[in-house]
Amino acid sequence: MLRMLMQRINDMRTIKSLCQGAERHANADGQQAPGLEHFVLAALDLPDGTARKAFERIGANPDAFRQGIVEQYENALKGIGIDAPQPTSMQHQADGISPAKGLYQSRPQVQAFMQQLANRKKADAGAPLLGAHVIEVIASFQHGVASRTLATMGIDRHRLVDAARMEAGEVRADALAG
Amino acid sequence: MIDSTSLPSPDDPEEALAAVVALRRMADKLERLAVANAIRQGWSWTQVADALGVSKQAAHKRLAGTLHSNDIPE
Repeated sequence: MLRMLMQRINDMRTIKSLCQGAERHANADGQQAPGLEHFVLAALDLPDGTARKAFERIGANPDAFRQGIVEQYENALKGIGIDAPQPTSMQHQADGISPAKGLYQSRPQVQAFMQQLANRKKADAGAPLLGAHVIEVIASFQHGVASRTLATMGIDRHRLVDAARMEAGEVRADALAG
Repeated sequence: MIDSTSLPSPDDPEEALAAVVALRRMADKLERLAVANAIRQGWSWTQVADALGVSKQAAHKRLAGTLHSNDIPE
């Protein structure tokens, strides 16, 4: 009972850290409300390290995800004959924005993600909420910047879903054994 | 000016919608930069709003929060 309570508290801390991390990444990217791509970056920052391991399981470099986001935007612009502007010192000023005041803001896709993450976590009752859960749920989304970033990196998102599930499964097995 | 013949075909919504998102992001960035510079140069929010073709309230609500505090005059 006490263990369940402690785990719930820890999961809430993980969610808080995830949301704050995603907002920080979004603001640094010049966006007020985080999208799924910013939650991937936040999951890669989590101390459990399972999000990174999920990428590494399929031979992908988790540190390349940030650059992948930039490249998918550049590719999309190239598709309509626009070369992405070269960064200047003034443009760098426009990159980062101040955090939003008031209630936490996110894009609609993030709300669907949070719901799916809660459902996914229920299936792993008894184990902590992990970065691998986050990656598993986000990689299951077919459309959007996160999905296009994975494609730009040459990552098969279905393989990433499986890798993240395996990573979470191993941690769950250890948690239940302990 | 974008050559309309180079626009993605609406038959390929994935590519077309990716372009829309990237354009919107680029436009937002340009808008933020231009508004920050305008405010720093002493433009009023009314002037900014007129230049953008929106109401002063709309411009302030949407953009004031995205500016750094040193861009906003006392």
